[in-house]
Amino acid sequence: MTLYILKRLAIGIVTIWFIATATFIAMHLVPGNPLANEKATTEVIRANLERRYGLDKPVTEQYIIYMGNMLRGDFGIAFSEENRSVNDIIREHFPVSATLGVLALLFATLGGVLWGALTAIYRNRWPDYVIMFFVILGISVPSFVFAALSQWLILNLNQVTGSSILPVAGWGNFRYMLVPALVLGMSTMAYLTRMMRSSMLEVSNTDYIRTARAKGLSTTRIFIFHQLRNAILPVITVLGPAIAIITTGGFVVESVFAIPGLGRYFVQAVAQLDYTVIMGTTVFFGAFLVLMVILVDILYSFIDPRIRLQAEQ
Amino acid sequence: MTSVNQYALEVNNLAVEFTTYGGTVKAVRDVSFKLRKGTTLAIVGESGCGKSVTVQSLMGLIPMPPGKITSGSALLDGEEILGLKTERLNQYRGKRLGMIFQDAMSALNPTMTIGNQIAETLIVHRAMDKKTAWVEVLELLALTQISEPARRARQYPFEFSGGMLQRVMIAMSLACKPDVLIADEPTTALDVTIQAQILNLLRNLQEKQGLSIILITHDLGVVARMAHDVAVMYAGQIVETGSVDDIFYRSSHPYTVGLKEAMPSNKTVEQELRVIAGSPPDLFAPPEGCGFYARCMYAMKVCEKNSPPIFGNHHGARCWLHHANAPAHILQQSLKDPTN
Amino acid sequence: MNKAFAPALADFAPAPARQKMDTISRPSLSYWQDAWQRLKINKRALVSLYLVLGLLIFTLLGPILWNYDPALQDLDSISQAPSFSTTALFVDDPGIWEGVLLQESSTLPPVTGQSAVLGATRLNIEGTATTQYVRLSWEPVEGGAYYLVYRNDHQPESAEDLGLPLGQTLTARELSFEDRLQLQPQTYYYTIIASGGLREASDFATEAVELERAITVSQALERNLPATPGTRVELSAHPFGTDYLGRDLLARTMMGAQVSLFIGIAAPFIFVLLGVIYGGVSGYFGGKIDLLMMRFAEFVIALPFLLFMILFRIGFGIGPGESGIFPMLVALVLLSWPNVARIVRGQVLQLREEAFVQAARLLGANPAYLIFRHMIPNTMGLILVTLTFAIPMAIFTEAFLSFIGMGVAPPTPSWGSMSNEGIRSMLSTPHELLFPAFFISVTVLAFNLLGDGLRDALDSRMRSRE
Repeated sequence: MTLYILKRLAIGIVTIWFIATATFIAMHLVPGNPLANEKATTEVIRANLERRYGLDKPVTEQYIIYMGNMLRGDFGIAFSEENRSVNDIIREHFPVSATLGVLALLFATLGGVLWGALTAIYRNRWPDYVIMFFVILGISVPSFVFAALSQWLILNLNQVTGSSILPVAGWGNFRYMLVPALVLGMSTMAYLTRMMRSSMLEVSNTDYIRTARAKGLSTTRIFIFHQLRNAILPVITVLGPAIAIITTGGFVVESVFAIPGLGRYFVQAVAQLDYTVIMGTTVFFGAFLVLMVILVDILYSFIDPRIRLQAEQ
Repeated sequence: MTSVNQYALEVNNLAVEFTTYGGTVKAVRDVSFKLRKGTTLAIVGESGCGKSVTVQSLMGLIPMPPGKITSGSALLDGEEILGLKTERLNQYRGKRLGMIFQDAMSALNPTMTIGNQIAETLIVHRAMDKKTAWVEVLELLALTQISEPARRARQYPFEFSGGMLQRVMIAMSLACKPDVLIADEPTTALDVTIQAQILNLLRNLQEKQGLSIILITHDLGVVARMAHDVAVMYAGQIVETGSVDDIFYRSSHPYTVGLKEAMPSNKTVEQELRVIAGSPPDLFAPPEGCGFYARCMYAMKVCEKNSPPIFGNHHGARCWLHHANAPAHILQQSLKDPTN
Repeated sequence: MNKAFAPALADFAPAPARQKMDTISRPSLSYWQDAWQRLKINKRALVSLYLVLGLLIFTLLGPILWNYDPALQDLDSISQAPSFSTTALFVDDPGIWEGVLLQESSTLPPVTGQSAVLGATRLNIEGTATTQYVRLSWEPVEGGAYYLVYRNDHQPESAEDLGLPLGQTLTARELSFEDRLQLQPQTYYYTIIASGGLREASDFATEAVELERAITVSQALERNLPATPGTRVELSAHPFGTDYLGRDLLARTMMGAQVSLFIGIAAPFIFVLLGVIYGGVSGYFGGKIDLLMMRFAEFVIALPFLLFMILFRIGFGIGPGESGIFPMLVALVLLSWPNVARIVRGQVLQLREEAFVQAARLLGANPAYLIFRHMIPNTMGLILVTLTFAIPMAIFTEAFLSFIGMGVAPPTPSWGSMSNEGIRSMLSTPHELLFPAFFISVTVLAFNLLGDGLRDALDSRMRSRE
């Protein structure tokens, strides 16, 4: 098991190296170094950049310097703000994004499993149709429409009740997080519901469920001990990609709800062409996602005995 | 007739249909048979003839819809079990009516240890606590000749071989000491030596526990080895019933004759195997007359439009050749045999 | 023998020669025929197929039938709600309205302060109320220090219902108000309340005013319309309304459809093709080559998708506020092929081991024959399904990026960039967001359901059992 985890981590590190390299290449696609951009106006920033990135040196040497910095966990320095390191920015803004993301993921997974199981139980009856109608909405309506719609709803709700239980925008305690997290997790929940539903139906047609029925077990017992556990397995395998979708989906939600997360900062950095922040954030997000996927894989191997045995061998 | 039933299981006029987008399939048509206590009844037939559907409908395992039991009754030791609600049915299946399946690997839950899967039956039907159930599980595994039961019980299905899993299935179905065991092609997926072991195991258990067994198979070799009585199925109907000797030595239906001839034996080395020409009728639209009419070498005019009744009593055949008006024919001897 | 049927002797004569035994009663269908049959009975898939065809007609034929310049700005009709009504009244240029003032000679009603009970007053409409202006006047109210004017879309029930005032007079002498604020051809409810300074009246007067669309003579001259005041003219209709620059939203939605669907269909075609070739080669050769190729594909999958879409855009030298349709296409292709490659590789690996391929190989078939006769026909279904699911993904990506301003930028319309513009005025004129968002949703929905249907129809092993 330890060996399996180590092996996954080793591949993960190589993957992160690939992401960092691809980022470097993408930024050097066009002739003329974007880092030597006239945007970096003040002398201090320019001097910092020269020192940190070796802008006057050839590209290969720049690459070595860049990778060296990355290896030390140094994501660079900001372009548009004096003496601000990207690590600083990440430290300040990432916790906000992470809180929102974890909440959204929790909501999406629990909701997906619950609704999916319900649709399977009430297959082709009205609860199934109602839930699947919303699932289809969740899959086909873009998140920014949900964001806008929910803001409009909150406004009206607050107007009708004359209170302000749910703020329209901003960041603070749980009241601020609830609606953005719901919006952020919406499409993922829809996908997971769909997946859970077909997974449940597939499991219900398997030979081992037939065996369980032949054993004279009650429907409830079959559902809890045989169907649910096996049906959840494929849902867990897609949690890795789901985390990626939720993380990047945060860009829109954070922008619309004016939440000071890393996603919103990234969008602003792109608008200002703050290259170093863009590069640093990209590599950071990439590394984060790689680690999440590994984490999900390991979690999965604990839950599915077949994978666990393979991993142990 | 004594007050105690002579039969462990009695099925009368069972008919099952499936509705599909292509139409209605009459998978089982007017099937009746009796299982004597402590004996084995083999149901033989080629694939798709309705043998599995027959027993699965007894166990309440056919999905409804699309499946539908249109008529019939099934008496387990005199008690009706057909068409019961799930809760009522659960007092029979697993407890007094055990079942094992063809592909044991897919018939066991891949994410549950086999010990837990067996114990589950005991906990539900015999109200045992986990500890006593576990002791019983180990005994059952030992009974089905699985070595190191204590270690094996904690393993998952994918850690077992096919033959071992079939033993596990048997252990599981016998956990509540059922009166009747339905074995749906239990050895089809296994190779010959393992097959022999499993069959021996079943026979030993039958002797020890007085088990009545319904054995579904398409292998006449297995029938000869295991069965006391035989029912031959063709196109959703039972075409011939009788003791194993009746079927093998006094076959009275052309289809049974064909089946027998298609079976390789040490005499057939020199000559080619005989096959039954053609294929079974389409059950979307079952033929008006005898299902075997199109393939039968003895077919008569009457067979085309009229479905034959079963002629004979204990040894019976669904064939017009046995009608009093039918011309003299070699197969007629079999039913009129004095031993019948 | 429970049946009454008693066969006669003659019935037992041998049967005549029977028809050929192996006849199959149902017609045999080819793979694609069978798939089409299955798709046809799947109502949802069929409806989505028609939707997709409808969208293509909307996109390709729409601009020919609705020949209206999507870039034409009309600042006189900005943010107009969807309507088919097209007539407008010519009116004189409004000029300056002096309004109604209380006669100098008459004395002001005394202001009685806090205890004053401020009554309602009668409202008059001066002239014709049109979308150019609404002129209100009213009778003076005893105790009023100034007057508040409210405008509502519905009949206000109580004072709380009024919301924020549209305007107010400076003194109690002014007894009129001119409303020229974004008037739409609809019914408004105007309310006047006299205010005593500290307290407002609890009762008030409300007048429903129906506005007619109007353009002034000078505006008509700008558009080269022959204008006589008092006559009516046909104006261009805006079935989807107009946006904040007065551009026709229907024309823009059609134009945006071309951009969105171009990216949404062209990019998947290219990256699916690329993925098929890559995955096919990898799976066909297997072994070390396969291992290396798939490792690389996994690396590309690990790249954070949207971040790299943005990164490539910057790498191509496209700044904020610039449109990058082609770079977006390239970036989509560069980042999306590995998933297709993985799926195709899996299928090819599986096919390689199939008995019919092995048999063909044993019979001496060369690789080209194997690939074209066995591999490709047997992966076609899967490829088609993958392609169908890739299209909504690409459309979503375009919309998402354009929405955060990293894709197609104004003035080029795409559904994403139109949504971006529309969301700003979502509360007052929701149609500017709703139309592009609706089209994104319907397109994504149609392709998703079509993909489901195709998957069910083409391969029973992939069935979702819905």
